[in-house]
Amino acid sequence: MAILTQKLSRRAGMRTPLDRSPWLLRSFLCVWLFVVIAPLVVLLVYSFFDSSNFMMIYKPSLKTWEGIFTSGRFEVTVRTLRIALTVTLIELVLAFPSALWLAKGNCTKATRAIVLALLTIPFFLDQSSRIIVWRGILDENGLINHVLMALHVVQSPIKGMLYTETAVHFGMVVSYFPMMILPIYMAISVIDDTLISAAADLGATPARIVFDIILPLSLPGVLAGVVFTLGPALASWVEPNLLGGGFVNMLSNSVDSAYGALRYPTVAALSSFVVLMIGVIFAVLMFVTRRFADLSMSFRSLQS
Amino acid sequence: MKDRHSITSQLTLTRRDMLKSLAATGAFALTGSLGFSGVAAAADSQTVRAYGVTTAQLKDWSALTKSTGLKMEFIGSNNDVGVYMRDILASQMGNKADIFIFEGGTQNILGPQGAYLVIDEKNPNLKLWQRTPDVWKRSQVVVGKDGKQYGVPVIGNADSFGYFPDKLGVKPDGTSDLSWKVIFEDDRTRGRVGYDNEWNYSIGVAALYLKSSGKAKVDNPADLTPEEAKTVVDFLVARKKAGQFRTLVSSYEQQIQLLTNHEVDVLNCWEPAVRESNLKLGDGKTRYAYTEEGYYKWGHGAYIASQVKSRGNEDTVYKMLNYFLDGEYRALQARDRGYAGPNMDLAVQYATAHNWSADQIQSLKETQEKVDRKFSKPFVSTTTPSHSDAIEEEWQRFLNA
Repeated sequence: MAILTQKLSRRAGMRTPLDRSPWLLRSFLCVWLFVVIAPLVVLLVYSFFDSSNFMMIYKPSLKTWEGIFTSGRFEVTVRTLRIALTVTLIELVLAFPSALWLAKGNCTKATRAIVLALLTIPFFLDQSSRIIVWRGILDENGLINHVLMALHVVQSPIKGMLYTETAVHFGMVVSYFPMMILPIYMAISVIDDTLISAAADLGATPARIVFDIILPLSLPGVLAGVVFTLGPALASWVEPNLLGGGFVNMLSNSVDSAYGALRYPTVAALSSFVVLMIGVIFAVLMFVTRRFADLSMSFRSLQS
Repeated sequence: MKDRHSITSQLTLTRRDMLKSLAATGAFALTGSLGFSGVAAAADSQTVRAYGVTTAQLKDWSALTKSTGLKMEFIGSNNDVGVYMRDILASQMGNKADIFIFEGGTQNILGPQGAYLVIDEKNPNLKLWQRTPDVWKRSQVVVGKDGKQYGVPVIGNADSFGYFPDKLGVKPDGTSDLSWKVIFEDDRTRGRVGYDNEWNYSIGVAALYLKSSGKAKVDNPADLTPEEAKTVVDFLVARKKAGQFRTLVSSYEQQIQLLTNHEVDVLNCWEPAVRESNLKLGDGKTRYAYTEEGYYKWGHGAYIASQVKSRGNEDTVYKMLNYFLDGEYRALQARDRGYAGPNMDLAVQYATAHNWSADQIQSLKETQEKVDRKFSKPFVSTTTPSHSDAIEEEWQRFLNA
C-alpha cells in the first residue's frame, strides 16, 4: 500500500492528502469497496437465484439468466445499447466542433460565459419537466403542427414525430449534450495556444491542426464525455417513457416491470449484464485509443 | 422454517437473511427515509399509524379526530405492489404501522406468511361489520385464498376507459354500454387508443374481452395461467402491430394530457383522469365507460399488522377500521375523489345530516347507482396473480413488439 501511495504521488509530482497517512488511503479504499463493489457482487449473486409469485427462491439456478435470453429481454438490452451508442456518437459529432469553437474560436469572453451558463441550466431542472414539454411540441396537435398548418405549409398534421425511436433519440441528445460538450471543452481549452500557432506558422492547414494536434490532445476529454454520456443514456427512463409512448422499450422499463413483480433475480441479471456490456465497450474503447490516450488520464482535464 | 429453499415461510427468512443482503444493496436505506418517528402506537394511545396507498387518505384527517377522537398518522406508499410488499417483508413496516392499506391481493401472500392478522369479526368496536354488504366484505380484495378474512374494505371502483362520445357516435350522456372492442379492435378507433403499459392493470381487461367475445378460452381474467397469458399477449402483439394503439400510457398525468389534448379518442385510464380532463374540456365532454363485458374491479383493503397483537392497541385499530365503513369517511372519499365503498347509504345519511348541498347528495346517490351497476359484472382484480412471473415475462413480448 505504501509503495502504491509513493508511486501515485511520484507520478502526480505532488503530495496529496491521502499520502499523509497510509490509513487514509486504506480507509478510502475500504469505503469505496463497501459502497460500490460490494453491491455489484450482491447483484451478481442474486442473479443466480430465482423468484416465484413475489417470493425469492434462495436456490442457486441459471433459470433467471436463461429467461433473459428467451423472454425478449436480451433484445431490450441490445436495443438499449444500440440507442445509447447512437446517441453518444451523435453527441460527439455535435459536441466536438461546438467545444472547439467555444474554447479556441473567435467568441468573446461574454459569449463564452453565456454559452457555458446555458449549458449548465439542465443540471438545475427536473428531467421529466424538461422532456414532457416536447410532447406538447411534437404531438399531432402540438406546436409544430399548429404553426405549420397556420402558415399553410401543410394541410394536415404531420404524424410520427412522437412515440418513435427518433423522438427518443432526439430527447436523449437534448438531455445529454452538456455531459459531452463540457469535458471536451475543458480538455481543448487547456491546449497550449502556442502549439496551434507554431503548426499554423509551419504551414499546417486548419484541418491538419485539428486532426494532428487538437484531437489527440483532447482525447482525454472526449473519453470523459463518452463515459458521462453513455452511462446515463443506458439508464434512460424519462425519454423512452414520455417520448417513446411505450413503443421504445428500453432497459430501465424492463427493470421497472420486473421490479413491480418483485423479481429481484431478473433485475439483478439485467443490471449485471449491462455492467458487463459497459466493461466490454470501454475495454474496446481503450484498445482502440491506446495509441493516443490513456483512459485513466481522461479525468485530468476536469482538474484543470 | 422447514425448508430454506421453499417459498412458504419466507417472512422469517426475509427477517433474517434478505434484510441483511438488501441492506448491502441500499434498498434497506428506504426504511430510514419513510418518515416514521418511532414505533407504532402504544396500547393507551388514540393514534393509529397507517402505511398504504395515498388514495385511501382523507384530504383532512381532522374530521376523524372530531368525530371519533382518533388521530391518524398516514405514510403514503408507492402504488407498486412489488415496492409495497418489499416494505412489509424486508423493512418490517409492521413494527412501525398498525394498519396497511393496499389494493386487494397482497393478503393472499402476506396473510398466510403471518404479516396480517385475521380480522376478528366479533370485535365490539367493529360495529358496522354486520350491516356491511357481502359484495364488499367477502370480496377477493379482503378475503384470502385460504378463506380467511384478512381485511376490511376501504374504497373501490370499477375501472374501464374514458372516451369522447362524439368520436364514437354514441349517446353523449355516457349511459350506453360500450364494448371493450373499441379499445382492442375497432376500425373506428385504430391508431386512436391509449392503453396502459403496466401488465397487471392491462392484461386482465384484454383477457376479459377475449373471453366474452369467445375468441379465447380464459377461466379467470384476474388470474391467468401461463398459457392463457401467452394467448392474450399474442392477441395484443397482433393488435399493436396492426396499429391499434396510439400510445402506451405510464402515468396519471399522461392520461390527463392525452384526453385534454385530444390525442386519443379512447383511453384505458382511471376515472379521476376523466373528471380532471372535463374540468378543462367542459362538463361531459369525455365520459367514463359502462361496458358490456365487465370491468377491472379493484378495491383497497385495510389490513392489521401482525405486530399489533403484541402492542395491545387492537381496540383503537378496530375503531379505525369501523370508521372506514362509516358514512363520514365514505361521503368525504366520494366527494373528494369520486370513489365508492361499502355502506354508501350511510354516506347519504351523513351528508344530509351535515347539510351538504342537494347537488352533493345527489352525486353521492349517483356514485352508489354507478357502482351497483358496474359491480354486477366481472371481474375482481388482484395485484398478486398466481403466475405473476410468467405473465410479466409474456408482457415483455408485448412491450417489445
